[in-house]
Amino acid sequence: MTAAFVRADGVVKHYRGRQVLAGVDLLAQGGVISLLGPNGAGKTTLLRCLATVVAQDAGTVSIDGLDPSREPERIEIRRRLGYLPQDVGVVEGATAFDTVDYLAVLKGERDDRRRRRAVFDVLDRVGLRDRAGERVERLSGGMRRRLGLAQALLGSPSLLLLDEPGAGLDPDERLRLREILTERRSTATVVVSTHMTDEAAISDTVIVLDDGGIRFNGTPERLAAVAAGRTWVQPGLPPPDVRASWRLADGRTRCLGTPPPGADLVPPTLEDGYLLVRG
Amino acid sequence: MTRIVDQARLDANWRAITAELDAPRPSLVERVLRRLRVPGHVTRLVVATPALRRAWYLSIAVAVVVGIGSAQPGDRDSLFALLILAPALPLLGVSLAYGPSVDPLHEAQLATPMRGIRLVAVRAVTVLSVSAVAVGAPALLAPATRSGAFLWLLPALALTSAALALMTWLPPRRAAAAVATAWFAAVVVARIAASADLAAFGRVGQSAALVVAVAGGLVAYTRRSSFDRMDVLA
Repeated sequence: MTAAFVRADGVVKHYRGRQVLAGVDLLAQGGVISLLGPNGAGKTTLLRCLATVVAQDAGTVSIDGLDPSREPERIEIRRRLGYLPQDVGVVEGATAFDTVDYLAVLKGERDDRRRRRAVFDVLDRVGLRDRAGERVERLSGGMRRRLGLAQALLGSPSLLLLDEPGAGLDPDERLRLREILTERRSTATVVVSTHMTDEAAISDTVIVLDDGGIRFNGTPERLAAVAAGRTWVQPGLPPPDVRASWRLADGRTRCLGTPPPGADLVPPTLEDGYLLVRG
Repeated sequence: MTRIVDQARLDANWRAITAELDAPRPSLVERVLRRLRVPGHVTRLVVATPALRRAWYLSIAVAVVVGIGSAQPGDRDSLFALLILAPALPLLGVSLAYGPSVDPLHEAQLATPMRGIRLVAVRAVTVLSVSAVAVGAPALLAPATRSGAFLWLLPALALTSAALALMTWLPPRRAAAAVATAWFAAVVVARIAASADLAAFGRVGQSAALVVAVAGGLVAYTRRSSFDRMDVLA
């Protein structure tokens, strides 16, 4: 299985009269790409365009050279795709097994036995095998999120698009998610949207989206390096011209921006870089 | 044993066995369909979504009520009530069987290779079939409605087909509401114009229904890509 080649050129999308994507470019093959940005930045819309469930207003999207605006090519893209939407609803009355099994049918698995095995494999992978017979409405939010992830993993897709996969997960579940992402990065192109910088830290590439545009595209290390020499801690209140600041547990203030002479510079984090890039 | 048999193969076999043992028992409807030799993956499509279950049960409930109501002894009004309401039942069912407002898995479904037109067609046929049995059986048993127990079938097919065509431009519920409104208006106008209760269900009416059914199907098929995108159905 070769990781999918993902290309987006100048993608523009409007939603209810507002521009949510303003000419986004993306080029990726293999590895984990994190779309980092605040709510409303355009992350979900970009993932939907890549997932072929929404058509862009302008620009082009192609997956492995296939054009989603043409029906046969769109179907072929969807064969290679695993997609976790932001909201995977609860099918009341259905069990965890039913839910994933239904989506396995939609993904084209017709053989009952092979499908059952595939369903249990992905449920096992996300740690829900023991809950297979449980009704979905009885599962916790984190478990439902994992169920959504399970259906996305069906069929070992070469393109995994995950919208906020870590939302509602506890620390153990997030660790498992990281393992899954790490494991898939060699065989798939994994695009993950998140607004949590610690989730983006494991990715190969971080793309910071804000107001529908790309503010940064590079490695997590490079994003953190944006704040090198621009992060310091000091006692008391921050200077008035800092870009961002917050009080630390020890009472000092961490500041981002142009440091005053003699400032106590500290090593920057991914979050520092992200905040500076957003401006 | 692992010395003489490939470990990976043993694991695969074990996974296959446990998958068979651990799989939850299918629902009653699913078991019945399988007894009728409907393939497993098709029964999943028919049964395993709440949107369809809701549509299914709602259609059945309303259809049975209408069927029983129409079976009461009385005059031609019972038959007219049956014929005007029965075609709207599958229409209602179809409007509740597809789209983001009724299907929690709709967005995940859109990203699969399953064509939306195929899924919506499977569901429409299911709803039509259930309605035909639920309304037709009691209507056949009642003397007042026996003569026209199945006169509504072609109009029902036409309304469903027209709704599917309109769903390529409008959200499902709005499409169904528009078609239902047009249907009730057409029946009333036909009744007034022809001074006959069942004018809309005569030869001309049935022929018109057939034309609408075919035309609606063709439009829906031609514009099938609309069922594969969120933009139209949202």
